[in-house]
Amino acid sequence: MRERIDMRLVVAAVLGLTVVAAVAGLPFFTSERYILRVFTFAGVNVIIITGMALLFGYAGQVSLGHAAFFGVGAYASAFVVTQLGWPWIGGVIVAIVLTATGGLLLALPSLRLKGHYLAMATLAFGEIMRVVFTEARTVTGGPDGLSGIPYPSLGPLAFDSASASYWLVWAVAGITLLLAANLVRSRAGRAMRALHGSELGATACGIDITGIKVRVFVISASFAGLAGALYAHVVGFISPSTFSLHVSVLLVAMAVLGGTSSLLGPVIAAVLLTLIPFSDAVIPGLSRSALETIQEWQEDIYGLTIIAVMIFMPGGIGGLLRRIGTGRSAER
Amino acid sequence: MSLLQVRDVTRRFGGLVAVDDVSFDVHEGQIKAIIGPNGAGKTTLFNVVTAFDRPDGGTVTFDGVDLTGSRPHRIVSSGIARTFQNTQLFDEMTARENVMAGAHAVTKAGFLATALRLPWTVREEREVAKEAGRLIRLVGLDEWEDVPAADMPHGLRRLLEIARALASRPRMLLLDEPAAGLNTAETTALGEALYRIRDEGATIVIVEHDMGLVMEVSDEIVVLDQGRKIAEGPPRLIQKDPSVIAAYLGEEDVDEL
Repeated sequence: MRERIDMRLVVAAVLGLTVVAAVAGLPFFTSERYILRVFTFAGVNVIIITGMALLFGYAGQVSLGHAAFFGVGAYASAFVVTQLGWPWIGGVIVAIVLTATGGLLLALPSLRLKGHYLAMATLAFGEIMRVVFTEARTVTGGPDGLSGIPYPSLGPLAFDSASASYWLVWAVAGITLLLAANLVRSRAGRAMRALHGSELGATACGIDITGIKVRVFVISASFAGLAGALYAHVVGFISPSTFSLHVSVLLVAMAVLGGTSSLLGPVIAAVLLTLIPFSDAVIPGLSRSALETIQEWQEDIYGLTIIAVMIFMPGGIGGLLRRIGTGRSAER
Repeated sequence: MSLLQVRDVTRRFGGLVAVDDVSFDVHEGQIKAIIGPNGAGKTTLFNVVTAFDRPDGGTVTFDGVDLTGSRPHRIVSSGIARTFQNTQLFDEMTARENVMAGAHAVTKAGFLATALRLPWTVREEREVAKEAGRLIRLVGLDEWEDVPAADMPHGLRRLLEIARALASRPRMLLLDEPAAGLNTAETTALGEALYRIRDEGATIVIVEHDMGLVMEVSDEIVVLDQGRKIAEGPPRLIQKDPSVIAAYLGEEDVDEL
């Protein structure tokens, strides 16, 4: 028995190191800016989805407004760096503080709501912020957006190449994943899963369910804000369309496809769904018209993904991984 | 002095008086049962004692502290743990994880400390896991430790919920119909588990339909009928009480009384 567990650990460690090496080593295999760019976007989405996985997959709360937090982070950082001349790290801190505060202000009233009502409240928040991004021209540049946002830099260290920004984004993604992984394996993570399982049962255990929901909401909002502060500076240009409702829906699709009570599942889902509109980056020789067809239908692909997962694979990728991990057949 | 004092508790739902001016005491180390026909107000009384519901009148005092109006998740810290008539387990979590979640109130590791994996949180986690293993053995679920609660048979789920309640190291344990849906062997096992738990120092209050179990394990019984307390005393006297027999007439349990 003990030996089998040890073997499993060894396999997991080898697999984990291989993945880390592959992610870190990508810029050595390809110098093509386009491919690195696409995988940098995937890394940004991994940061957001890590927060979404905590909120949706562990605590069972739905948010249809996370693109707005992503946007608040991006605009906040872009504004203080371009307009006030702050260093990038200052932009990151402002982005995190602002989105955490925003998350708290949204969570306090709306987490007393349940299910559909919470979804509606977050949806409304997302729409309000979309209007703010378009109309608050002095800060956001209006519908034209903000351009000329400088690359991220830490003191003399400038992440001004495609590979440098790729590494930066994935390093931050790695840190957020590590923090989240620690969290879910602890007392706090159990409390999140407990309130998802039974709010009555959780209360009887002494878990302050509103308090836990608010904390998870704030964490997931600030992860999205952090991702925004990376995105704005890596791409150099942001506009309201980047943070619209369809991005929120895409994030929900990633979370659903990823599955509940899992971090790895949502991360894989985030990378897969990010790649769909950029399929030519991973499938060499994909014809231009095929790619255009995929891009035209991408919303439908996301929507169908949500439906298909709900019907055929309610555990998502995370559930699939667990079944492989425990060697149980596809029951339940 | 008694551990729990229920004084003049009344709870109305619209025109219905679910609990009508009920008073009783529970002494330390006792197993006390609350019985009564369906709709007698047992579960409502239970919810009031555990602050899941608020009384319209009366007070609940535990160890000298007035609990009336407390928030339900705070009750655990004052030393009262409960189970539910419809088990409220965390289905996706294993038996051990369920019991570990039960230790929430007696552990400290918060979001920041655990995200940073501070050494003391790792130590605390190890102790909680160890204690969870012990409680799982106490209720006899050794073989189910790593099984998700959803995959456990109904009877064992009830025992698991008791183990989870014990993880908060309660001074008083309130069980809402723990024998409902159990077969004879499982009910016997439950009775034995209750003695073991009492011997560890916990006071037990039990709402139960199974008269066999109640007569066997309880030191004292409170009988409710239509929200009112109609009798209180040791099992032998309750069995002969004419008002109790009258209240149960027409109920299937009457044969067992």
